[in-house]
Amino acid sequence: MFSYTFHWNQAFRALPQMLDGALVTLEIALLSMAIGLALAIALTVFRLSGNRVLSGVATAWVEVARNTPALFQIYMAHFGLGNFGIHLSPFTALLAGIAFNNAGYLAENFRGALKAIPETQARAGRSLGMSSLQAFRYIVLPQMLRVAFLPATNQMVWAILMTSLGVTVGMSSDLAGVTQELNARSFRTFEFFALAAVIYYLIAKAVTLAARLLAARMFRY
Amino acid sequence: MKISVLAFGLMAATALSGQAYADKLDDIIASGTLRCAVVLDFPPMGARDASNNPIGFDVDYCNDLAKALGVTAEIVETPFPERIPALMSGRVDVGVASTSDTLERAKTVGMTVPYFAFEMAVTANDKSGVKSFEDMKGKTVGATAGTFEAIALEKSVKEWGAGEFRPYQTQADVFLALSQGQIDATVSTSTVAQANVKTGKFPGISVVGKAPYDIDYVSLFTNREEYGLINYLNLFINQQVRTGRYAELYKKWVGGDLPSLAVNGVYR
Amino acid sequence: MFSTALTWSDLAFLAHGAGMTLAVTAVSVAAGTVLGIVFGVIRFQFGPYWSAPLTFALDIFRSVPLLIQLVLGNALQSIAKLGWPPFTTSCVVLSLYTAAYCTEIVRGGIDSVPVNTRRAARSLGMTWWQDMRYIVAPLATRVSLPSWIGLTLGVMKDSALVLWLGLIELLRASQILVTRLQEPLFILLLCGAIYFVISLPIARFGRYLEERWSPND
Repeated sequence: MFSYTFHWNQAFRALPQMLDGALVTLEIALLSMAIGLALAIALTVFRLSGNRVLSGVATAWVEVARNTPALFQIYMAHFGLGNFGIHLSPFTALLAGIAFNNAGYLAENFRGALKAIPETQARAGRSLGMSSLQAFRYIVLPQMLRVAFLPATNQMVWAILMTSLGVTVGMSSDLAGVTQELNARSFRTFEFFALAAVIYYLIAKAVTLAARLLAARMFRY
Repeated sequence: MKISVLAFGLMAATALSGQAYADKLDDIIASGTLRCAVVLDFPPMGARDASNNPIGFDVDYCNDLAKALGVTAEIVETPFPERIPALMSGRVDVGVASTSDTLERAKTVGMTVPYFAFEMAVTANDKSGVKSFEDMKGKTVGATAGTFEAIALEKSVKEWGAGEFRPYQTQADVFLALSQGQIDATVSTSTVAQANVKTGKFPGISVVGKAPYDIDYVSLFTNREEYGLINYLNLFINQQVRTGRYAELYKKWVGGDLPSLAVNGVYR
Repeated sequence: MFSTALTWSDLAFLAHGAGMTLAVTAVSVAAGTVLGIVFGVIRFQFGPYWSAPLTFALDIFRSVPLLIQLVLGNALQSIAKLGWPPFTTSCVVLSLYTAAYCTEIVRGGIDSVPVNTRRAARSLGMTWWQDMRYIVAPLATRVSLPSWIGLTLGVMKDSALVLWLGLIELLRASQILVTRLQEPLFILLLCGAIYFVISLPIARFGRYLEERWSPND
């Protein structure tokens, strides 16, 4: 059945190059998560603000981010914005695309998490003389982050997986980019991509583990 | 009695082994269709017309090959990265896909003698101020990932120690990025460069000169072990040149000086 | 500003691409859901220890980018000389990918059915199968359906990646038109709008169910 001979040593020789790529992947994922988190909090505030324009913007953002493919969003960030003369480098376009996506999904998570926090708490805060922003900052936000932590961990894993889409906009330094480059040169698709899959798996597991340890630290009562 | 059993056994064995040794060339002729992998975002080699049907040099070349074999041609569109898996899985018989015959790739697939040769040209965005190959130093440049010119250009960028190299997955994306000004210049095969500039769809770009790279010979490819078919393909390429069909197709799709497919001073 | 070279036949081409997106999604979600239910029941029934190999295998599908899975799946079928067309390969990979997520949803659904309810069913003389069919299935479906709808939407969007294997689905169809017509922004916006139009009603339906069925209201 298999007339194909595997050339594994060729793949292993490229391992250092691929590990460098893995670092870039991790870097993009972490950055996009940080930006996405900040944006998501802003979107949540917008949604709660009662201002029609702001909440409209937030809702549109969340809906577009959740209802179009991530690949589309990244492609749009590079070639769509390029049409206006806004030039994002592949790295920035990839980062922007993933951050946009993260923000949308995280904001939706926060919406769910907010439901779990009784409204009376914020009201109690207000009656203690807090401004609505203060009540949000000191009462709602910490609890919201706690409830939303697990979904956010999942989103982080998603962000790692999404970095692989950068190859479509000319990204060559991340893990998928390096792998595709090696593959295009030698046509040894299976060997290189199998190795990449293992590395992605290990990164995803490491991040999940780290998040679990972090949660155990942060959310101790 | 014994002898007849032996004879029957021998006959059966011959019949069976005859069956087992039918090679790909036999399979193609028996099946009546030749399936070619062609890249369709690589004008003028492969493209789509206004009703999204495949056209181009490679498409015609595949049709000629099918005619020579006495079968009908089937064009299977494959993006650049998909060419080899399509062949390996038996979804296509032959790649007619402007594939550079690098030694690295010949470890995986069987390459014929060259059926086409590309010269490398520099195409630049008019606003970038790039007027020649040397001007590309320090600029942001790009090319189609994994191609002959991409590998050479990336090496040049590393040697210059300045500027940035971006590999895109399709030739179309490279020209889109170039016309938007995302990259300042690209090195591509001169035929592709001219065809793209000529369409007028990419405003503000022009071919500014030649790139000092080796000529990029591209060949047909099939499975590494199919010597019978590779032999046939080699002869077919030879005949295409001999009969003037190569020149005819070149004139139809590309135009200009016909590139020689022979390398001086060496046999193949 | 609104002059465009887009013709009706190009729109039909896009619609054809959208049809391909829907076809890949429908096949993958259907197959993935059946597999997911089987795996989910197995995971619940055998407990974490015995189903560990299954859990591990499914976890791989959730921890490796889909793009890599598709490329690998395609390379694997080509090495095994299965000769699958890209549509089959895409559907097989996407089905397994869907099944990996669906298993978690199903297991969560079964988990959410109170043990006492099931014991009551069994003590009424129901067999395991009857208990599953008449008690667990309706209750678990109610809990799982919103997440399942989310999964369906996710798979539809992720199916854009099958363009890597040469399938002309919605996004690839748009890219081909962009190449020919050189109107990236307009065509990409149109493509996004089509995705939006397909998924928004399903998303709204999911939210409606979530609100209607949410246990605390």
